[in-house]
Amino acid sequence: MQYENRLPEEGINVTRVHPLKQFLLLVIGALVLVVSLVVVLQVSGGWLAKRVPFDFELKVIEELDIEFGHNKQHPQMVTYLNELAQRVAIHMSVPDDMRFQVHYNEDDVFNAFATIGGNLMFYKGLLEDMPDENALAMVMAHEIAHVLHRDPVGALGGGVASTLALLALTGGAGSSMAGSMLSAGSVTSIQFTRGMEEAADEEALAALNALYGHLNGTSALFEMFSDARGPSRRSEQVLERFLSTHPRDQDRVSAVAQRAQAEGWSVEGALTPLPEGFKDWL
Amino acid sequence: MFSLVIQAGIVVSLLVLGYLFGSFAERRHYKKIREREAKGTGLPVIASRYPPQDQRYHQHLVTGSTVVASDYFKNFLAGLVNIFGGRVTPFESLLDRARREAVLRMKDRARELGAAYVFNIKFDTTRIATGRLAAMEVLAYGTAMVPMDKALGLRSALSDDDVLQPGPVHAV
Amino acid sequence: MLVSNLEFLPGRKVVRHLGLVQGSSVRSKHVGRDIAASFKNFFGGELRGYTELLSDSREEATSRMLEQATSLGANAVLNVRYSTSSIAAGAAEIFVYGTAVELAEDVVTDV
Repeated sequence: MQYENRLPEEGINVTRVHPLKQFLLLVIGALVLVVSLVVVLQVSGGWLAKRVPFDFELKVIEELDIEFGHNKQHPQMVTYLNELAQRVAIHMSVPDDMRFQVHYNEDDVFNAFATIGGNLMFYKGLLEDMPDENALAMVMAHEIAHVLHRDPVGALGGGVASTLALLALTGGAGSSMAGSMLSAGSVTSIQFTRGMEEAADEEALAALNALYGHLNGTSALFEMFSDARGPSRRSEQVLERFLSTHPRDQDRVSAVAQRAQAEGWSVEGALTPLPEGFKDWL
Repeated sequence: MFSLVIQAGIVVSLLVLGYLFGSFAERRHYKKIREREAKGTGLPVIASRYPPQDQRYHQHLVTGSTVVASDYFKNFLAGLVNIFGGRVTPFESLLDRARREAVLRMKDRARELGAAYVFNIKFDTTRIATGRLAAMEVLAYGTAMVPMDKALGLRSALSDDDVLQPGPVHAV
Repeated sequence: MLVSNLEFLPGRKVVRHLGLVQGSSVRSKHVGRDIAASFKNFFGGELRGYTELLSDSREEATSRMLEQATSLGANAVLNVRYSTSSIAAGAAEIFVYGTAVELAEDVVTDV
């Protein structure tokens, strides 16, 4: 018997592929996969969440036990805001089981938002700049429209669905992320898409016209937003148009004019002043 | 946001370092392996259970082993491959190197004993788990067949106590 | 003691089989080694500390198997197999087993 060791050809047990090339392909592939997965789940999760009964939203918010704003220290303001919400909501098609709860926050933030369970939050920074009730009612109607369209629960549902999927994909690496999705922080910082914002604006304009008989004050509101943001450079404007969730302030102003013309609504009319002592309630 | 940038920066620099060091080490290791394999063809390693009966041999268990770790780049690449499935190419070369290194070390030991063949070679591969570390041990072992005339000359090397000293450790 | 992973020895006669003998050893390296190894893991290459650890461990397991064989009155262990499994982080079990036999004293049958 002849025993010998011949050397087999090199590289049969290893795949001849440049690691960097493979790396690049896989990274691109993974990114495409993750992005498309997130988009699909965001949409389908949002779609499903909007079919959840409003009662369930109320239960979730109760379960989370979030202390909204500083209502106790400002009872008159909270009463007034809730009363205004009622007046605005009458002119909107609100389902029987839906309720709104307006909260006041004394932080100096130029903002207001809507979240799940029909909770609306108004900040001092916004309220103290309100010139008249028409402008405030426009903001109120806009936020109520978000709740009517079930935008908060939709956005939250989409976020939860995509996070859970990423969690399953990464095998637990994002578990803290999923945990934070259902926390107080996420409930008060929901981002809506621009489409949602435009739909809310449209609904709000109709309600405002029904309430006051004209749209005076709404353009002034959007111009105020523009001023609050400060002048932006041209390049920023272009970027803003693509990235911002809200429509551009100028676009919203022209949308008011177009809508008024199309529907035959008036943009002129007497402005309703804010109630006496409004500044003291802040 | 800032911490996210820092984290991404750390990952990218580890990937670059891992790739540079890892691929350099791999090329150097393969070069050494090829050289040593070419030199070692005179000592056949046979995966047969039936040794030759042409003359009397002294028999001796010989082992060779190595623990290899993957680099950061390979680990990352393997993680990506995992998403889509298919050949985990970064680990193919790692295990190939480890197996060949283990065999070479086993042969070194057999050569020290004056063996003419190593018979019935077996492999044993194990994942060494230390936290997030990915490392593999490859053991190669077999029976060195030492012709009796050489074995008598090396009597001391073949003393009973000495039977199972593992092969010497080489730098990769 | 003769140790081989072949099942028979050409030219030597097995007088009697004395049964299975086995040796095992579970060892781990100290934390410092683990930390050093985890650094090495970024750049790849051989983890020398672990290679030595497992070699030492394998030696111990083998000498335990040989002790068993000696206590049975054997003078050879045939058909030896190694098996390694990682038990926990940084710890590995080496297991070695074979058949203890008694060989006839250097009787040369024809080759």
